[in-house]
Amino acid sequence: MKKLARWSKANWLVWAVALAYIAVAVTRPSAAGRGALLGLQTFGELAATLVTVFVIVGLFQVWVSDEFVMKHLGESSGLKGLALGAGLGTIIHGPLVGVFPLLKALLAKGARTGVVVAIVSTWAIKLPMIPLELRLFGWRFTLLREGLLFLSAFIMAPLMELILGGDWGTRFRDTIEQE
Amino acid sequence: MTSTDYILLAIAAALVAYSAFRSGPKTKKALRIALKQFVNVLPFFAAVFAMIGLFEVMLTPDQIQGWLGSGQGLLAPIYAAVFGGLATGPPAAVFPLGQYLLSQHASVAAVATLLIAWVAVGTITLPAEIRFFGARFALSRWALALTLSIVLGLVMGWVL
Repeated sequence: MKKLARWSKANWLVWAVALAYIAVAVTRPSAAGRGALLGLQTFGELAATLVTVFVIVGLFQVWVSDEFVMKHLGESSGLKGLALGAGLGTIIHGPLVGVFPLLKALLAKGARTGVVVAIVSTWAIKLPMIPLELRLFGWRFTLLREGLLFLSAFIMAPLMELILGGDWGTRFRDTIEQE
Repeated sequence: MTSTDYILLAIAAALVAYSAFRSGPKTKKALRIALKQFVNVLPFFAAVFAMIGLFEVMLTPDQIQGWLGSGQGLLAPIYAAVFGGLATGPPAAVFPLGQYLLSQHASVAAVATLLIAWVAVGTITLPAEIRFFGARFALSRWALALTLSIVLGLVMGWVL
């Protein structure tokens, strides 16, 4: 019973979604069915990504040293660290939830808060989508939007560090160690 | 399974093989960590995807269109940010929607905001973000991203 309570605290969303589905199923049964199917489909599309991400998380934790992460992405990595994060976020694709575990591992190894924020911010840039955007909106719109999205990493990162406070990363690492 | 998936899996397999070549015990440890974390978050992920499915059904592009279709003035970018942030469809879906809205005399600022918020805000993944990084981080980032998407949208409307 105690175990279930603890599990529910971490996985409260499971209960919330189950309730939402029950509510929708009562009022609009077909919508609930379609939603479940769509969700399953998204999950299926992502399954390979998830497997890869977790394998990389495991390898990352065993092979990459804390010193390495701290040196290149840590508190003293400055603008170079942010730029590295922004570049990384531009390249990675697929749903963001999939890379959350990896970002958490990065933080745990001593990466700076801003670097993780930069990755999340430029994740919004979808390189494969640029041709589509070009065709529909023209190059001025596309270049401006993608450029602003890239810049947003350098706006979001310092702002987040300001809001969370300089020692947020350290405290976050402490809570992970307690888990 | 798309070709990207196969490439990803191939990369993962290659990394594991290389790791095993370098050190067997370390690789075993890595895979144990991977499996443990995966099993740990699996129920949560399942819930996130179930929720995404529900939102895709309940919040259709038609509804979004109704709100942004014709001149809503300054309110339009704000609506756009809220809708874009809530919507969860694939990024490829928002571009045609944005173009259609432009043809329906929606403002550039509103459409740009919608396109940015669609990918940058992530209201649906907020619970997952809270689970991984804590409420303070997730909520701050969410609020900032929402604000920034409106600001950037207005900038784009002003420049173009």
